[in-house]
Amino acid sequence: MTTIDLDQQLVELRSAADAYAARHQFIPDLTWPEGVRIAVNFTCDFDAMLLRRLLNEPPMQLAKGEFGGRVGIWRLIELFDAHGVKATIFTPGRICELYPEALRAVVESGHEIADHMWEHRVPKEPGLEEDHLAKTVTALERIAGRRPVGTRSSHSAALLRQYGFIYRSERSADQRPYYEYDEGGGNGLLNLPMHYVIDDAMYFNFNWLGTDASAQRITDPERVGDIWWAAFRQQYSVGGYLNVCMHPFQSGRALRIAMLDRLIGKMKTLPGVWFPTCEQVARHCIDHHPPRAGTL
Amino acid sequence: MPWKQGYTISDERSLTDSELRWPDGAGCCVAMTVDLSVASGPEGITAADLTTPEALFGANQGLAALREVLRRHAMRATFAVPAVIAHTHRDLVRSLTDEGHEIAAHGFRHEDVSGLERDEERQRIARTTEILADVTGGKPAGWFSLPRQGDRYAVGAVSPNTVDLLLEAGYLYLGNGLADDIPHYWVSDFASRRTLLTLPYYYHFDDQFFLMFPRKGTGLEHPDALLRNWRGEFAAQYRRGRYFHMTLHPQHIGWSNRLQMLDEFLAELRGYPSLWNPTAAECARYWLEAYPASAHLRLAPTIWQDYPGSLS
Repeated sequence: MTTIDLDQQLVELRSAADAYAARHQFIPDLTWPEGVRIAVNFTCDFDAMLLRRLLNEPPMQLAKGEFGGRVGIWRLIELFDAHGVKATIFTPGRICELYPEALRAVVESGHEIADHMWEHRVPKEPGLEEDHLAKTVTALERIAGRRPVGTRSSHSAALLRQYGFIYRSERSADQRPYYEYDEGGGNGLLNLPMHYVIDDAMYFNFNWLGTDASAQRITDPERVGDIWWAAFRQQYSVGGYLNVCMHPFQSGRALRIAMLDRLIGKMKTLPGVWFPTCEQVARHCIDHHPPRAGTL
Repeated sequence: MPWKQGYTISDERSLTDSELRWPDGAGCCVAMTVDLSVASGPEGITAADLTTPEALFGANQGLAALREVLRRHAMRATFAVPAVIAHTHRDLVRSLTDEGHEIAAHGFRHEDVSGLERDEERQRIARTTEILADVTGGKPAGWFSLPRQGDRYAVGAVSPNTVDLLLEAGYLYLGNGLADDIPHYWVSDFASRRTLLTLPYYYHFDDQFFLMFPRKGTGLEHPDALLRNWRGEFAAQYRRGRYFHMTLHPQHIGWSNRLQMLDEFLAELRGYPSLWNPTAAECARYWLEAYPASAHLRLAPTIWQDYPGSLS
């Protein structure tokens, strides 16, 4: 291999890294509304048994997910309401047909309903992808009385923009909210970063993401509460942001509701902790830290 | 789609805390399942499973020690017993009923029934029922299908016919379900409201997923996490006036450090007033009378629609 070949590799790799970096616009000087030191988004991925069904898992697995719709979501609404927390419920469109009563209670309490795909997948076929997104927007609008503006999905940015979405909450290239653009540099969306460290499924769910028995390290809520509190304290100290991702079929279990109750209670002992919906955070960022001209 | 078949097993919403009442004004129901299976894989108990030091320990010192701890704290349990174990440990199994424990069925050999033909499964249920009835002197009221340590899903397996066949065979309850944390109804037919009472199970309160998990020799011993789960769930459910359950295996929990932990936890638990500690059958009988499906199963008619390109 000659030096020329090696230099060519450097050019190619650097260009790949640069192009990826250029699709991200961070907000290093992020500020919050007067008096706010940290924004904490409590978010629920309300897929209940849908992902289990999509993967053709057996009946007991469906029942495990069903707990989220029959029990968990109700307890989480009660918990958020008791603390004055406005949460965001990322909801697959199909859940509107499975648990409409619970979703109406979510809306009644002033929480945000956002997109979490039609049946917890993004079809590869562009026509079907749009069909699924359109169905979800219609279903969520019917329940919430307004169209969703946020998503937790890998739907294409162009399609999301076309349907009026302003934010996504998926990845974590930065701990603060940031903008993401597509390959062409357009179709900007604000991303509200969520990290697996602050995701209940990583600690409590058996067989998450298809992992086998030997990969399981299920743990207890006290340990998880400690990890999340440490993450909160660090972001609090830098005036940052925290997105807590929960699944009602896991966090809705009584022992975890009790842990969340203690965690939120502790957060509230500090001044300047803001518990808005994801949409409120997104609108604040877009208004005060706008994206590149004309991109959103 | 008729109702939400293929998606849900029960109704739209659990009973709220304020709707719950236990016998004699008790504040919380505490239930304990002891699994006597030693099966390691989906084929159920094999000769190899029965001829390990752990199996021998579980049937002897482990079980004796566990029984002693239960006796000390006046705790009654429901033993989930595969027919094979009832057959090989006949006197031992029978003696458990003398201490107020219940013997429930746990498959013929704790095999995975999910792929069985209906007739084959019916025969297995019939033979299992017969063997247990012969050993204990009475037909078992309940049926369990608990998970094994090496299972892909930590929830237990049933076939599409299991619930229906259990009803046909006269079973009162299914011992493990995950759609609720109190007893609830498994709907086997929406139109006729045919249901089987199901008692809650959750792998976070099952010793086998924390103690030398996934298998011995891994060094992954997390009794502290198991204890915190038990404590956390018990405290939360006690406050809500609901139901607390735990699942134990003599070959796991019967061993020194774990037995000590169980002993201490039960002492703590017994410090709370007003607990109701029924066997599973007692709990089921109470529930069927206090919350009959005819009055408490809240099945909303389906609003599901089928679309091309979507799951049906």
